[in-house]
Amino acid sequence: MADLITLTIDGRKLKVPAGTLVIEAAKQAGIEIPAFCYYEGFSLQAACRMCLVEVEKMPKLQPSCTLPAADGMVVHTESPKVADARKGMLEFLLTNHPLDCPVCDKGGECELQDMVFRYGAGESRFTEIKYHQDEKQWSPLVYYDPARCILCYRCVRVCDEGLGVGALGLTYRGVAAEITPSHGDHLECDECGWCIDVCPVGALTSGTYRYQSRPWEMNHTGTICTHCADGCKTTLSVRNGAIIRANNRDRSGYNGEFLCVKGRFGYDFVHSGERLQSPMIRKNGKLEPVSWSEALAAVATKFSEIKARGGKFGVIGSTRTTNEENYYLQKFARQGLGTASVDHHRTGDVPALIDALSGKTDALAAMADLYQAKAALVIGADLAQQHPLIAYQLRANYRHHKMAAYLVNPGASREEQYAKKSVHAPPGKEMEAVASLAGELKGHEDLVVIFGASLRGEGVRQLVSFGDTLGIPVKYVCLVDYSNSRGAMDMGLVPELLPGYRSVREAGMEPGLALDEMLAAKDLDALWAVGANPLESAELASSAAFVVVQDLFLTETARRAEVVLPAQSAYEKNGTVTSVTGEVQKLKAGAKVMGTKADLEIMGLIAKEMGLNLGIWSPDKVFEEIRRTVRGYNIPLPVVATGGAAQTTPVNGRVPAMPRPEHIRPSGDTLFTSGTLGRYSKRLSSVMEAPGELFKG
Amino acid sequence: MPKIQEILSGAAAIAKGMGVTIKEMMNPVITDDYPDAPPKFQERYRGLHVLQRDEDGLEKCVACFLCSAACPAQCIYIEAADNTAQERISGGERYAKVYNIDYSRCIFCGYCVEACPTDAITHGHGFELASFNTSTLIYRKEKLLAPLAPGQTGKVKLDHPVMAETGH
Repeated sequence: MADLITLTIDGRKLKVPAGTLVIEAAKQAGIEIPAFCYYEGFSLQAACRMCLVEVEKMPKLQPSCTLPAADGMVVHTESPKVADARKGMLEFLLTNHPLDCPVCDKGGECELQDMVFRYGAGESRFTEIKYHQDEKQWSPLVYYDPARCILCYRCVRVCDEGLGVGALGLTYRGVAAEITPSHGDHLECDECGWCIDVCPVGALTSGTYRYQSRPWEMNHTGTICTHCADGCKTTLSVRNGAIIRANNRDRSGYNGEFLCVKGRFGYDFVHSGERLQSPMIRKNGKLEPVSWSEALAAVATKFSEIKARGGKFGVIGSTRTTNEENYYLQKFARQGLGTASVDHHRTGDVPALIDALSGKTDALAAMADLYQAKAALVIGADLAQQHPLIAYQLRANYRHHKMAAYLVNPGASREEQYAKKSVHAPPGKEMEAVASLAGELKGHEDLVVIFGASLRGEGVRQLVSFGDTLGIPVKYVCLVDYSNSRGAMDMGLVPELLPGYRSVREAGMEPGLALDEMLAAKDLDALWAVGANPLESAELASSAAFVVVQDLFLTETARRAEVVLPAQSAYEKNGTVTSVTGEVQKLKAGAKVMGTKADLEIMGLIAKEMGLNLGIWSPDKVFEEIRRTVRGYNIPLPVVATGGAAQTTPVNGRVPAMPRPEHIRPSGDTLFTSGTLGRYSKRLSSVMEAPGELFKG
Repeated sequence: MPKIQEILSGAAAIAKGMGVTIKEMMNPVITDDYPDAPPKFQERYRGLHVLQRDEDGLEKCVACFLCSAACPAQCIYIEAADNTAQERISGGERYAKVYNIDYSRCIFCGYCVEACPTDAITHGHGFELASFNTSTLIYRKEKLLAPLAPGQTGKVKLDHPVMAETGH
């Protein structure tokens, strides 16, 4: 803890650490100093002059956003002199700012509007004609209206410092000054839309939310993004059951305000015209819409029949459904259908890491650790493309704490901008490159290691034993690709493991078929794919197999199915998901799509139809059961229930039966692709950067 | 004697009463002949809303949602859309694609008119709203819009100042 100093703000004596900015000290005391350009976590600008305060014994008003508090300082934030200055500044800002609040998207949540309302002059002394420039479209997602811009540089700083993209800058001078993309008239960036979010006025507007609604017309639901495994909290703004905006202005969740293009714009697959809205059964070789009761009865009858004659089931779970659904599915398969052939599309070797870390506590990094660690080692991952939040956390750590980053990648990545050392090594040769960094890594206080799917099985064990030789505390993150990939593994959607990394032999079963083996089995009687599309890149060998698919869209697998059941996306249901760092967060239903049901309800109804007793199929009840029975998941309920992230406790024991690492297939998704969902998101493919490439810097 | 007095005072009373009657017979009639003749309204009578047009016949409404926000009965529903170079509906950047007023809820308080920044929504003098079917009480934009005046097309030429200003 730094030395405490005492200062007085508006007559209140405060003790703050030396070096605290006056604006921050005031905020801690609950005194609001208005500011546009000051933005917590980013470099100081002192461009807007709104935060001027009067400091005794200083001749002029001082900008509180760049003024470090000093011992004995006496600050006045509401004196007549300060009020006058604010009023004057607002009058200046409004000389060119159009008064088009009624048609401006920002109206109702505009900081300038609020400040003029609170501090501003009702009338202006400027009678000159306002300098007008036309609105510009920078990309399908970003519009810029120079007339409304107050040049606070927030967008420039989040783009440059926050993301390392630096797509925005300032051109021209004086009254003609405006923000301009580095490519002149268009953006070539991450299209994350954070610039729109931080804009205090309506200068930057979203191409998708534009003119759709007004802030007070929408309901806001905080839920978890369903695209990658980073588990960003995103606030869905919903009007009439339809999502019309996503952002995270309330800063709930461990991502703060950060969202990538998928989180902020990639929700449009929910309202895609191609969504399935009615169950379908294959009749005379064609899929025909039928009622729910008919479809469920057809599935139940066929499943019961195959089970009775001891047929061969294959059950494929999803990387995007909730923990509750994954748990219920494996329970259904193992107890209800009596099969051990349960799998999902695996994208990282989590069991190998958990096994290698047995006996260690506190060795799995949480998202917050990535911001605190003194050093980071990234192996085989293009973080800015594949894990935008992890990339952001590391960059923020570097920016604020001078964290040392080491990269071992097959090609260039954006982290090289600030990395202390970057080694290019082809997949399979990473460990040699890692070993060469040992001397430097030892010099740091602690280390967090982030590795992708190129390290698996024995490679992960070698990595952990290498970590042990460093003699410093090391934490690990095993990267997985989809929103609940980690949860699917934890919930035992693999042939070898029950939930909580217990061997299936404990349940009196032998490991069943893995995903590829199910597809290759010529004698498979039934294939049940819940939120998975295994036939996208493979053929089903068994021509007689009865295929049941629960999905949002008519995927390749659904086209081959006998029965298709329309499921809900993560944005339409409740439940929990586990992020790449093993943190459990709650999903909350926002949107509504007619005719669909949550996967959990569908499974529950099939079980009921088959006369199975697998327990109540409500998310809360199943989560209760998970907390009771699954190792690591006995997490504090209030944290999850109030929208926080609770990290699962380490299993801390050997994993008795190893799922075979050869079945791991990384998705290879970039910033602009997102597996099946990304295909149905028009916006993700509408930007010129799509589809993006890995390891191209 | 009292008898005569009684007769006289009775006659005076009748004369006074008849005086009022005769005087009123001379005054102009103030009752309306509704429904045989259209009723007369004060200028500021708050009746059925009218969505006004500007001098070119473009809609004044820019779909700012302020009427809907001001409405205590929450009877105004709006969906906004973008004016394009090909199709210009309103004078501003955006227009109301959908503008519904639910007259089974409207209380004719006039707050919407007060809130409107472009003087687009006004109270007209329409009052014959009764219906046997409440679903017909939701009036759509087409029903609320002021008719085009003679000579107005509702379309703007490309050299019009509005078009030049917005760069279309």
